[in-house]
Amino acid sequence: MGNPNVGKSAIFNRLAGAKVMESNYPGTTVDYTKGYMRLENKDIEIIDVPGTFSLEPKDKAEEVAVKMLKENKDAVIICVIDSTKLERGLYLALEIIEEGYPVIIALNMWDIAKDKNIWINIEKLENILGVPVVATVAVSGEGIKELVSKIKEASPANIERIVERAGGLEK
Amino acid sequence: MKLTVDERWDLIDKITKQVVKYGEYKYTLKDAIAELTVKPLTGIPIAIAVLYGFWAFFGAFAGFFTDGFFVKLFDNHWLPWLQGVFPGKGGWLYYIFVGDPKADNCFEAFGVLTSGLFVAIGVVLPAIIAFYLFLIILEDSGYLPRLAVLIDTVLHKIGLHGFAVVPMILSLGCNVPAVVATRTLETKKQRFMMATLLAIFIPCGAQLGIMLEVIPEYVGLVMIYLLAGFFIFGFILNKLIPGRSPEILLDIPPYQMPIARNVRRKLWARVKSFFTVAVPFVLLGVVIVNIMYLTGFLDWLANLLEPILCGWFGVPKETVGPLIAAFLRKDLAVAQLSAIEMTTYQLVTSVVLVSLYFPCVATFAMLIKEGREEGLKGVLQYLFGSLLALITVVFLWGGLVHLIWIILGVA
Repeated sequence: MGNPNVGKSAIFNRLAGAKVMESNYPGTTVDYTKGYMRLENKDIEIIDVPGTFSLEPKDKAEEVAVKMLKENKDAVIICVIDSTKLERGLYLALEIIEEGYPVIIALNMWDIAKDKNIWINIEKLENILGVPVVATVAVSGEGIKELVSKIKEASPANIERIVERAGGLEK
Repeated sequence: MKLTVDERWDLIDKITKQVVKYGEYKYTLKDAIAELTVKPLTGIPIAIAVLYGFWAFFGAFAGFFTDGFFVKLFDNHWLPWLQGVFPGKGGWLYYIFVGDPKADNCFEAFGVLTSGLFVAIGVVLPAIIAFYLFLIILEDSGYLPRLAVLIDTVLHKIGLHGFAVVPMILSLGCNVPAVVATRTLETKKQRFMMATLLAIFIPCGAQLGIMLEVIPEYVGLVMIYLLAGFFIFGFILNKLIPGRSPEILLDIPPYQMPIARNVRRKLWARVKSFFTVAVPFVLLGVVIVNIMYLTGFLDWLANLLEPILCGWFGVPKETVGPLIAAFLRKDLAVAQLSAIEMTTYQLVTSVVLVSLYFPCVATFAMLIKEGREEGLKGVLQYLFGSLLALITVVFLWGGLVHLIWIILGVA
């Protein structure tokens, strides 16, 4: 899951080898697509959903995304985040973590962030969130192998611990 | 534990302060291009240049394949050969499949295997390849959303924010995914308006393609009529339909070099669906119109509708055949129209009519399906709502076009 136009479909196509339309504008995917990927010799079902900014849907495409999340309680969620727009991607990721889903984060469009001179300390982010974080460039395939190898490390994280590790909240 | 919205943002703030470092921002060529294409002063000339480039590329590509190759292949080899070997000259089977035995080109023969195949393979196929290739490149490079920002101001006036441009642009490819894409609009009012408007007014890729091929000199006129209709009726619908049109901010994606693999895959998907979905419909359309002609039904219908067609719209009654074909495939209808003797005015009007008068079968089915998402009431609303809008539009707009031309003294 992720915000609109962060490359969810591109990552999905990399993982499932399927043919979901990828486009460089928000709102390309308005319905979900199912596909399969091999993971440790098992076929795992993966689902590409429309982009959403939060778990409170604003339109029908976002509703589809949230509904898919709620219907698949046992799913591992790959949160795709546009590395140049980390904050709002994290918002959705945190919401999903709070719901108790095991999460792995793909910091996609890493190349563009590099161009823009934005540097994200992946290790530190992993430590604070307690979930695996991988830098990816979905359109070229960079980081996808690492993403696949770390899917099994995805685990539910405790939001209170995250708050603690981040240094507490303002009162 | 669940955080409140404010707590969550506070936490994000804390996290990003620790993990993100912003280096010095370098102003790149990409930024310069991005700015130039969005600011109206430079953006509008650039948009015009891009559209002109589109048109020029299209003419060169499609013209090369259609005129340079397929016309010769079909008219000089395929047609004479088929006319010679197909049994039962003069019989009804011959008429349906080969058409007029005296025809010397595939445009006027009207048979399934002559005009049908020629229109599908010789004319529409090169057109859609050229069209989609360019569209996909514009799409993947990130130019389309910037075009959206430019058109945004105009769309605001009719109650649609710039985001509605995504369905509109998709609609230029095919109305079917465009109707689906209206889901990204927030309110029911917006979804209904956009779905109806684009099903009526925006021609699809296949139709645009064939128009550019067979009547290139009039495409501009036809598009002006259609787009003017889009905005005028959008404005009226916006006033009539209850509900609100809230704002959504459109995210502009970064400029990117289109990736060959992705372009190839999307183009292939389009071509494949053309062969599996469009070609059968084109051929079926020819069969139906030919059978109607042979049974005399077409003449009967033409005479019945003559007062409306000739009197109100000012087009010859023969257009009734293409109008029926238009229900299945708009591209086929345009091709058939171009084979009928008509004045410029009649040709432009009948092409506009073909675009307006009914969404093609596939789009219509999709409109109903979208309505179904909102229950039975939704289906009825979509169905009757869009039909009502459609009939009003066809009559008012068609009549108005006629009136304008009468005033100009050319009809």
